[in-house]
Amino acid sequence: MQSLSRHFTLMSTVQFLIGGILLSIKGCFVKKKKMIISQETMDVDFVRKVEALSGTSVRRCFQCGKCSAGCPMATFMEHPPNRVVRLLQLGQWQRILAGRSIWYCASCETCTTRCPNKVDLTSIMDALRKLSWDAEGASKESYVQLANKLFLQNIRTYGRQYEMRLAAVFNVKSGQFLKDLMLGPKLISKGKLKMFQSKNKNLSEIEKIFTRIEEMRRKGEAL
Amino acid sequence: MSRIGVFVCHCGENISRTVDVERVAAQVGKLPGVAFATDYKYMCSDPGQNLLKKAIIEQKLSHVVVAACSPRMHERTFRKAVESAGINPFLCEMANIREHCSWVHENREEATVKAIEIVGMMVERVKKNRVLPTITVPVTKRSLVIGGGIAGIQAALDIADCGHEVVLVEREPSIGGHMAQLSETFPTLDCSQCIMTPKMVDVANHPKIKLYSYSEIELVEGYIGNFQVTIRKKARSVDEDKCTGCGLCMEKCPIKKIPSKFDCNLGMRTAIYVPFPQAVPNTPVIDRENCTKFKTGKCGLCQKVCGPGAVDYEQEDRLIVEPVGAIVVATGFDLYTINEKPKGSMIKGYGEFGHGKIPDVIDGMTFERLASASGPTGGKILRPSDGKEPKQIVFIQCIGSRAREKGISYCSKVCCMYTAKHTMLYHHKVHDGQAYVFFMDARTPGKSYDEFWRRSIEEEEAVYIRGMVSRLYQKGDKIVVMGSDIAVGVQVEIEADMVVLATAIQPQKGADTLAQKLGISYDKYNFYSEAHAKLRPVECATAGIYLAGACQGPKDIPDTVSQASAAAAKVMTLFAKDQLEREPIVARVREAGCVGCFYCKKVCPYGAVEEKEIRDRQGNLIRVVAYVNPGVCGGCGTCQATCPSKSVELDGYTDEQIVAMIEAL
Repeated sequence: MQSLSRHFTLMSTVQFLIGGILLSIKGCFVKKKKMIISQETMDVDFVRKVEALSGTSVRRCFQCGKCSAGCPMATFMEHPPNRVVRLLQLGQWQRILAGRSIWYCASCETCTTRCPNKVDLTSIMDALRKLSWDAEGASKESYVQLANKLFLQNIRTYGRQYEMRLAAVFNVKSGQFLKDLMLGPKLISKGKLKMFQSKNKNLSEIEKIFTRIEEMRRKGEAL
Repeated sequence: MSRIGVFVCHCGENISRTVDVERVAAQVGKLPGVAFATDYKYMCSDPGQNLLKKAIIEQKLSHVVVAACSPRMHERTFRKAVESAGINPFLCEMANIREHCSWVHENREEATVKAIEIVGMMVERVKKNRVLPTITVPVTKRSLVIGGGIAGIQAALDIADCGHEVVLVEREPSIGGHMAQLSETFPTLDCSQCIMTPKMVDVANHPKIKLYSYSEIELVEGYIGNFQVTIRKKARSVDEDKCTGCGLCMEKCPIKKIPSKFDCNLGMRTAIYVPFPQAVPNTPVIDRENCTKFKTGKCGLCQKVCGPGAVDYEQEDRLIVEPVGAIVVATGFDLYTINEKPKGSMIKGYGEFGHGKIPDVIDGMTFERLASASGPTGGKILRPSDGKEPKQIVFIQCIGSRAREKGISYCSKVCCMYTAKHTMLYHHKVHDGQAYVFFMDARTPGKSYDEFWRRSIEEEEAVYIRGMVSRLYQKGDKIVVMGSDIAVGVQVEIEADMVVLATAIQPQKGADTLAQKLGISYDKYNFYSEAHAKLRPVECATAGIYLAGACQGPKDIPDTVSQASAAAAKVMTLFAKDQLEREPIVARVREAGCVGCFYCKKVCPYGAVEEKEIRDRQGNLIRVVAYVNPGVCGGCGTCQATCPSKSVELDGYTDEQIVAMIEAL
């Protein structure tokens, strides 16, 4: 799941590069909302979850800015890496998830490698991406979560991936009907893309895995 | 006929780069009276000094001119060398061809000519130098310490433990100073009272320490080793010898609602009071402004209840003269009151923080009293307005400090650390509360200091927000804090229950007046100036006066204690000798010419000129002339320039010598 998410992150990065530039120009004109800080607005629980998932403490960060200085994607982010940590310190995760920063992160780990305080920013970004799955107010600008959802749906239905359906539904749901259309015939002719699905024999076993995870999620044992 | 030796230094390349030193030596060698002239690469080095000594002996030199750097730099070095070769050190002079010539010129030819002229002038001057004996003055081995805070206490204890008598003068009724007000101290969080009060008791019990509390310095006369200090012992209205410190008078006093200065006006005290229960001496003092007896003549309850009969309404201020040899100034600091705009001061004050208007906007010292176990709330952190526990508390740093426009450009040094400490104390006492700190930079140099600050964030969950606060205002029973977080780049608003301002440290009020009495220099903020920022950090430019603690600049407790011990060590160095040696460059009065106008006395910045009576054999007064006390004279020459009858001369700088120098040009 994690590696997949990273895989899609990379894809979406390339896909959004140009759009990102346009959006960041737009971002300049968006009025910055005043931050009201109190014990109620600082969501410490969420931050604890991030810390537990990433295995790193956000309080360790003293805002030197080295992560942002070396980040290759920082120019495309409305909140550069140091500010992502700063907002976490203030419990203002909504501001992070409403933006695109976590989706631009290429997981290159430059920030983690160079951090003087051992703040594992790469893992924090991963944790934030995971938590954005069912967080309220998370950005809809990225299709990564849509791709993830369809991917898992396919597995549940067919027991294995059915790429043709995945691509078709993704294009329809994301509103990019003609995306990669010309790539299809090429892949089909080379046998990389199957026209029809082939079902897994042990579908019921796969269904058991899904129901167990859902059960765990309900109990709060899994994300 | 004098045999003068001239020694020209290259100073590495500092001089020889622009001045042709060999030519200088050759030219000067031809001057009348010069018996020997040479040059060397480093005259001040060991081989250089040996060259000089050897030449003095071999060439039988009578006077020496060293053409090198400024006399401020190496005059002492060369005079010592000359002395070891058997010549009176005051027959050696320096010609400054570095600062006055090579460093400030580029043209080699012109610089060389100028160097020759400078050396020529000094040759003419040294010819007329007299053999001067070193002046010795006796040392009174007693010391005065002004201020009974931690700095004064430490200095007094160190000097007294060495066996010398100490006179400790404190303005307030009790010693202890600001440290007695603190709750806990960074970076170890040990209780201030626990480490302070034993030292206060030591002072009270020390056989070598004479404590004058509730006293002030009235007058300082004399000079190093021989000061006469007049101390005004203010009327306490309670006899210190009779009082047992039972406290019955305070219990019975009907005036109970006077805001306590020690508790930052949070608590109340009576008209007859001790500032705090652990006070040393534990003798009450009557506040005559508020006492009914002194206002209307009625009451007198304290006198009636006092068993030993210590209360004395008739007591008056007493003046006591103490002879001392050295003075340690440790008057400490005061906090900047931000809503005040003192007249004639560069301090402008802040209106935007509502300090003094909003009751729950307090300063750091008030928070210390709230957090202190001996404070007015017994260590509970409660709002001054309604006594509720604040759940959201905001600390704001750099109030007054580092604000050039508001009048103070320096950093107060301790606020970053004490604010970190405050957040910890708050977190320990209010578990469900949240502390926020607005700061510009966290300045935490010092052993275990940065770790302490990080701990307040990482473990004690203080939220630090980099950015300043623009304004505070009351909204219901909350205080709205309008700030910004520059890391996020947005405005921040917090509705706080209480706001603590880390106000700047200033010298004590009246620090300038005391400095004028002592004759020591102070800067534009009234902090006392040390003789050299790096090499003489505890000495004043005025000999025999030393500095300790925050009166010299903002300081925390470890630094203050170190400086106090350093000052004590300096005093002990002075006391190690029975006689003090002084440079004999002092003014002398030619009594035959003196008309007794005493213009010299008026202009003398050291107070060295005295009146001397000349009597005949029958003891009849003939006339009064000026006399310069060589122990006090600083050798500035102001009297020489002022004297209308040319009867005062400064040795080494006589009119005859100056004229000879001009003629040599």
